[in-house]
Amino acid sequence: MSDAALHEVAFARYHRWLARAAGTTVPLVVCNAAGELVWCDESEAATALVQAMLDLRHTGFDWAFAGGGFATQPLPVEQTLLYRPIAVADVPAGWLATCVPAFAAGAEPATLDALAECFEDMAASIADECRLKTDLNGMTEELAERYEELHMVYGVDQHVREHGHQEELFGRLLESCAQHLDIDVVAFVRPAKNQCVSAEQLSAPIHNLDLVLVELRGDLFRFVQATRDAVIINAADDPRRAYVLTDMPYKVLACPVRCTDQIDAALVLLNHAHKHDFTNGDRRLAEVLANQLSSLTQTVSLIQQLAGFNQQMAAALVEAVEAKDPYTRGHSERVHHIAMDIGRALNLSDRDLENLFWGSLLHDVGKIGIPDAVLCKPARLTADEYAFIKVHPERSYEILRHIEYLADALPGARHHQEMWDGGGYPHGLKGDHIPLAARIIAVADTYDSITSSRAYRAGRSHEEAMREINRVSGKQLDPSIVALFNYLCEAEPEWLLRFKIRREPALADHG
Amino acid sequence: MKTVLIVDDEPHVARVLKLTLERAGYRVLTAPDGEAGLAAVLAAPPDALVSDIQMPRMDGRALVQAVCRELPQRSFPIFVMTSMTAREERDWVRQLPGVQFLEKPLSPRQLIAELARALAAPAGEPHV
Repeated sequence: MSDAALHEVAFARYHRWLARAAGTTVPLVVCNAAGELVWCDESEAATALVQAMLDLRHTGFDWAFAGGGFATQPLPVEQTLLYRPIAVADVPAGWLATCVPAFAAGAEPATLDALAECFEDMAASIADECRLKTDLNGMTEELAERYEELHMVYGVDQHVREHGHQEELFGRLLESCAQHLDIDVVAFVRPAKNQCVSAEQLSAPIHNLDLVLVELRGDLFRFVQATRDAVIINAADDPRRAYVLTDMPYKVLACPVRCTDQIDAALVLLNHAHKHDFTNGDRRLAEVLANQLSSLTQTVSLIQQLAGFNQQMAAALVEAVEAKDPYTRGHSERVHHIAMDIGRALNLSDRDLENLFWGSLLHDVGKIGIPDAVLCKPARLTADEYAFIKVHPERSYEILRHIEYLADALPGARHHQEMWDGGGYPHGLKGDHIPLAARIIAVADTYDSITSSRAYRAGRSHEEAMREINRVSGKQLDPSIVALFNYLCEAEPEWLLRFKIRREPALADHG
Repeated sequence: MKTVLIVDDEPHVARVLKLTLERAGYRVLTAPDGEAGLAAVLAAPPDALVSDIQMPRMDGRALVQAVCRELPQRSFPIFVMTSMTAREERDWVRQLPGVQFLEKPLSPRQLIAELARALAAPAGEPHV
């Protein structure tokens, strides 16, 4: 046990206790197990006693103690030293000492028995106090560790609540870990997915950080994967440096991040050599974070799978529609792309953009219910045939309403054939009563219908489409969205080339 | 040796901070509420003040405001411990110069790192 607890004891109280037992003031000196001074009272007698004991130590005094209240040792100045050990759990933790005027054998002063009893009780009481203080300090340390863990877990929770499972979440988590634990580099490496996220809180520059990160996701990761346990490398001459971080003098703490049974990622903490060694406390904290990262990784990958599944289902639906009419191939995708451009230019909220995303992609799904003979007819439609065409937005709605997630995306698809002046279908909505997403899709849909080839005609040029769109602006189409679309197209968006939109030769305006 | 004054009515928090800061080489004084804290600051300004917010008699907000009022030339940093969810506390903390917040459950390591950063600033300059 260390001296720390002994130093915390309030010895003045014991000194008063001793004086009461002796019936007079006697000096009190407390030494540690090695005989070094821990405490003495402020009397001259105590100062003299400390000096006498110091002289005694130089003569090779061995603190012999055979039991009883105390041992005695004559001192040169007509005094007798009385001393006894303070034993905490049978291990000497220190010594209590006092002195009385020298006495001859058989002529012991009357108070000696009382002093002996008092010394015994004091030593026991001080030992109890030391043990309690040591226990309390141990518990306090434990509590401090728990605070750290709680702080970290709460912090992760807070970040997840603020940022959801976005791409930047991991970066932010590592950043707060680096700050919180004051670590130079914290990295999450997942070589199989080519993922390496890191954060720095550098106490000194690292010039070849890129190289270090390469090493982390290479040899160090494989080492952690093989040991299946946290690895701490502090010493510069650690033999493991022959395989990992060779010639890189950093202290390393690396934790496996388990995904089900496999270790496919690792959390790595790096410190410059001048910093403290990584401890078991650091290791426990890193393991807590690694566990959290593991469950977050799984959640993120589930979300990605689900998002992928949604996209693929939507693509399959679109494919089913477009398979009916080869001329409409790519139409949904093009309308979707242009509508999203307009939506972003309108600064729609993330939620509205998400709805526009699905609404524009799936707006023509209802065409699945139109007979092929009508849908692919290479000539003008009869009124009856046109009636079939007109039900398709409502059919889109009927098909998609079964998908709860798309509930807010449906109005865009259902009403994309409404006209600004109320002359459209299926409900004859007018102006602002037409959902915004539907008005956006209508502009994109009109544009693509004109510029793409149909069974009965070749696609017309961009300029022609714009003239037509501007002609029907305020009648069929929302004029403010048409204005925005004009503005967007002036910047020659990249999709003009990608969708191979035909262009009219530019007028020779340079003379 | 730099002195840190910890004002917290929860003895276990004060004890944890005292022990960890002492191990990090600071002298640590503690006070159980804002009143005692303010008296200690005025008696001898510490090198740093760490205070809880919710306390009996004088709370942390009143303590920090009193310290800012009484010692306008104060050169020591103040850390206020707030719960991670108490967003509104952060607004008044941000408005005071040289006052930072630490999130509860407090990380003793973070406090040690923040203290080292704050006290590494040149002495004597107002801590802003």
